[in-house]
Amino acid sequence: MLRYIALRGLLALLVAFTVSLAAFLLLNVAADPAQAIAGEDATPDVVEAIRARYGLDRPLSVRYFDWLGGVLQGDFGESYYWHKPVAELVADRADETITLALSALAVTILIAIPLGALAALNPNSWIDRFALGVAVSAQAVPNFWLGLIMIILFAVMVPIFPVSGDDTWMHFVLPAFVLGASSVPAVMRLTRTGLIEVMGADYVRTARSKGFRGWQLLRRHAMRNALLPVISVLAVQLGQKFGGSVITESIFAINGLGRLALESILGADIPTVQMLIFVFAIVFVAMNLLADILNAALDPRIRIG
Amino acid sequence: MRMSRWRSVCAASALALATSFAPAHASPEDDTLRAAMAEEILNLDYNYTTKREYIILAQLTDATLFNIDPETQEVNPSIATGYEWIDDTTLDVTLRDDVKFHDGSALTPEDVAYTYNWIANPESESNATGVVERWLDNAEVTGPNTVRFHLKSVYPLVIRDMANRIMIRKDGTYNEGGEIDRDAMSSDLIGTGPYRVVSFEPGTELVLERFDDYFGEAPAIGNIVVRNIPDVGTQQAELMSGGIDWMFKVPLDLAESLGATPMASHLSGPDLRVGFLVLDAGGYTDPDGPLTNVLVRRAINHALNTEEMAEFLIGGSAEAIHTACHPAQFGCDQDAVAYPYDPEKAKALLAEAGYPDGFPLELWAYRDKAAAEAIASDLTKVGIDVTLRYVKLESLNQARAAREIPAYFGTWGSGGTADTAAIARIHFSGESDRDMSGDTDLADLVLSAEQTSDQEERKSIYSDAIGKIADEALWAPLFSYSANYLVSPELDFPLDPDGLPRLQNSSWK
Repeated sequence: MLRYIALRGLLALLVAFTVSLAAFLLLNVAADPAQAIAGEDATPDVVEAIRARYGLDRPLSVRYFDWLGGVLQGDFGESYYWHKPVAELVADRADETITLALSALAVTILIAIPLGALAALNPNSWIDRFALGVAVSAQAVPNFWLGLIMIILFAVMVPIFPVSGDDTWMHFVLPAFVLGASSVPAVMRLTRTGLIEVMGADYVRTARSKGFRGWQLLRRHAMRNALLPVISVLAVQLGQKFGGSVITESIFAINGLGRLALESILGADIPTVQMLIFVFAIVFVAMNLLADILNAALDPRIRIG
Repeated sequence: MRMSRWRSVCAASALALATSFAPAHASPEDDTLRAAMAEEILNLDYNYTTKREYIILAQLTDATLFNIDPETQEVNPSIATGYEWIDDTTLDVTLRDDVKFHDGSALTPEDVAYTYNWIANPESESNATGVVERWLDNAEVTGPNTVRFHLKSVYPLVIRDMANRIMIRKDGTYNEGGEIDRDAMSSDLIGTGPYRVVSFEPGTELVLERFDDYFGEAPAIGNIVVRNIPDVGTQQAELMSGGIDWMFKVPLDLAESLGATPMASHLSGPDLRVGFLVLDAGGYTDPDGPLTNVLVRRAINHALNTEEMAEFLIGGSAEAIHTACHPAQFGCDQDAVAYPYDPEKAKALLAEAGYPDGFPLELWAYRDKAAAEAIASDLTKVGIDVTLRYVKLESLNQARAAREIPAYFGTWGSGGTADTAAIARIHFSGESDRDMSGDTDLADLVLSAEQTSDQEERKSIYSDAIGKIADEALWAPLFSYSANYLVSPELDFPLDPDGLPRLQNSSWK
């Protein structure tokens, strides 16, 4: 088990470095960081001064290995924009994104699992169709549209929640719903499929013969086995929430890692983008690893390593 | 861009739904103007920033030695009460004796001399160094209220540069104790402007309050809060719910939609930014290419329907222009020759130039795609076979530096400076690759305007230069831009002709 975790950890690092190299190359090809920092109307001397100040006039390979050398010593460099260590910047903003990601996951669980269970208990009924309809709609609606509609409905027309910001828990309700909604279809379908399959199993039939029915049957016998694949998906979804919060955080003006990523990409703030990609990749691989470990813990038949 | 358009459409549809409700607007009861900016505000020190948002904030928190009146373009006193040229390269500036910094300390001539000497020092790595090092040798204190500026050479635009760029800091701000700290004022700003910083969370919120010891006219509104809200749709929702009172850079369609409701007022003001087509008259891409022929360049000018582009693609207060400068800029002589929209005349000129069937033209552009496509379409109509290369700004800059661009659709905002110098020097002085005219006489003319302090003479020189550019059709000037604002119906926000939003001039109705 420990060997497996160590191997996966190494893999995570390799993924993170590979992705960061790709991001570094793409950013430098797509944009001139000095021009992006200086702005559209900056005169050439200002652009050149910025280029020299940040060492952007050095060859790409030198810059990348310089960054890599720093990372190996725990130094992720300094942001071109914020003029502070990138690690500090990311740490400052992580709270909001963690709060948002966990809240969004809670929203997903609270909507998708009951909906999936209802659909499984009433297959091919209007309830099932309704649940599927919700899933399809949630999948089809883009985050930014849903975000704006939620703001108009619940912050402007019926002003229950604040429009934007991240000062109180109230600020996280709408964004968590928006970010969480996008994961509802996958989790709901998996819950439904898993439950329908489990409900046909012999041990459930035995439980029925003992008199278990409905929610009791579901909770005490069917749910645990049916939720095994759901847990894996939820772990992956949580990883996606971290990386996928870019649009949601921008719409709701939440000062988290997603918004930081967007601003950094638009501003060609390469050290920040590289660290964020590094962090997102590590989180994503870690969440996958967590899913495997949870599955093994919940189902003794699964052995990893 | 596509996503942004989608968001605009979505925001507009949501808006239609929401207009049937009457939200409670934030009242001026707490005397706080809440403004939204999409661009993240990260550094409050305009000596170390360049973008427009920072100019707007610097107007609130800082003061320069002189001010330029946006209406008349006249230089007015600010921290300085006046100036006197001792000789061509020595300037004495007299200071007010009642200027205070936000920490309560009095401004001294040592502070002024220090600031200028620091900015001129390449070690400062200030974004304003380029402006000052051009002319400043050093500044020295010569009396209790006077500072003497020693110039490297004759440079009559010193006062204009002093008015536009350098924010005065306390002596030793950036290198106290010999240790350089360029971010010394980035968060905890100590300026001399009408508002002082109460709190600042980079990328999130800036809170300002009226500075009671400000030496100038006190602003009407007591507090200003600037929030960073990246999404324009969210900004609109905040405005509708009373969360903010002011937003700018609003897309025209959305500004008109929301401005037509009782929830907000749409203001459309001028913007010094102008759009233009730069033509390779100098033959850098092809020494014998069609663009080196003045008849072809005039044909291109006649082929473009700039009136319709301004009205339908830019909108608001945008107008067609026929000069290589904004009409509001000092020295932008509007008597220069104009080339009215006349496709038939364009075709005739092309035929006369030896291109009756047109010629292939690679047109580069990096912004306002609709306008770029309209330009390409108009040129195609007169027989020019246009290939539109819509690229990122950086790619265009690189290609232009390599002299690979025969024509491009460019824009210039002049840094908010209402003076032809701010557009002419960069585009026609031969000092940058933006100058594709290859006209050394024109370059000499443009530079000569910077060698005289006689305003009438400067005006006359720029008049000659702008006239020459028009005669030779070195550019195809297109249109001015407009600045669209959405403000609370309770806010009185005056617009200035130079297009720079001055929140300090706002008041409650």
